[in-house]
Amino acid sequence: MTRRLSWLLSTALLALALPAQALAASAPKTDPTKEFLLDPWIKIPKLGPIDLSITKGVFYLFLSTAILLIGALLVVRHLRLHPKRLQAFVEIIYDFSETQIGRASLPAKTYTTWFPYLATLFLFIWINNMISYLPLPVDTEHKLWGVIPTPSFYAATSNISVTLALTLITFFASHYVGIKHNGVGPYFKSWFPPVSGAINILIVPLEILSQFLRLVSLSVRLFANMLAGHLLVLMCVSLIIIIGNVFVAAASIPVAVFFYCFELVLVANLQAFIFALLSGIYIGTAAEPHH
Amino acid sequence: MPLSGNVNDAAKDLALGLGTGFGAIGPGVGVGYLIGKTIEGVSRQPEMRGELQGLMFLGLALTEAITFYALLMSFVAFFIGK
Repeated sequence: MTRRLSWLLSTALLALALPAQALAASAPKTDPTKEFLLDPWIKIPKLGPIDLSITKGVFYLFLSTAILLIGALLVVRHLRLHPKRLQAFVEIIYDFSETQIGRASLPAKTYTTWFPYLATLFLFIWINNMISYLPLPVDTEHKLWGVIPTPSFYAATSNISVTLALTLITFFASHYVGIKHNGVGPYFKSWFPPVSGAINILIVPLEILSQFLRLVSLSVRLFANMLAGHLLVLMCVSLIIIIGNVFVAAASIPVAVFFYCFELVLVANLQAFIFALLSGIYIGTAAEPHH
Repeated sequence: MPLSGNVNDAAKDLALGLGTGFGAIGPGVGVGYLIGKTIEGVSRQPEMRGELQGLMFLGLALTEAITFYALLMSFVAFFIGK
């Protein structure tokens, strides 16, 4: 019964996201990639090269922060020994992040300092991924009855600047931890395998490069997964308009529902988990280098 | 039917399609291999299921990401390419 209900619910949610594309039918072409353009809602004058305008992405970041803060305050205000629903749910998440992320990646000496960072990272990315699959009225380009923005998808994590910022924090944190626990010389020496001779000419640049490639791999993994997931669902739906035949819906809507569920259940959770776990592994291996 | 249009646009479309398609081959093989090996491992030692599953998901995300590097580069070619 609950399974059938959740299927119905997700289908209904998807149907809610339809008008954004359906309204574009009056235009000769529709382009799902336009959903990822960020036009400023509230313009703030530029500070040098930095544009601080409030856009759709900033709105999603604020929303996820608000959900996390309010949720945390609600749980902490009425703590029970025998937890009820919300508290039990939060305890499951805490337990998961402790056993699967914290204990699995951090050595004991850095655990107490860096587990809160990893748990925050996990929760923040997870909530962002979760709310990104809710159709919210954020598409300001098309308006319902001229006033209400049409419901649409957007993920703050499908923006490279968000994921790169999170990655940079991890990058600097891992080097800080490495230098703090090993000292400058031994830490940078630990980057390289203990070999001598001419092979170093090959290995040294490669190892330095691999440290910086972490920045790319960690940020692009999350960003591209979320971008591709959203684009896939939007593309399936807007295929109806691109081809221009209503009967395409019979094929494309079930496919869209399938990918929506797949992204929501598997990819959104997995990417949040992987990001936090890899951050933990980078920090953990910097604190205790193996060679 | 005679072909008309911009060669640049055609090349960009080809870059997007071919880049994404060819980029998906390797990770596809990798993901299949990974999950197959996990099933093999679980059928040999069913009590290791939980541990293997965790490792599998880690490997899955690492392998799958390669598809997205290809996708990203194809997008770069499509949207920013000259």
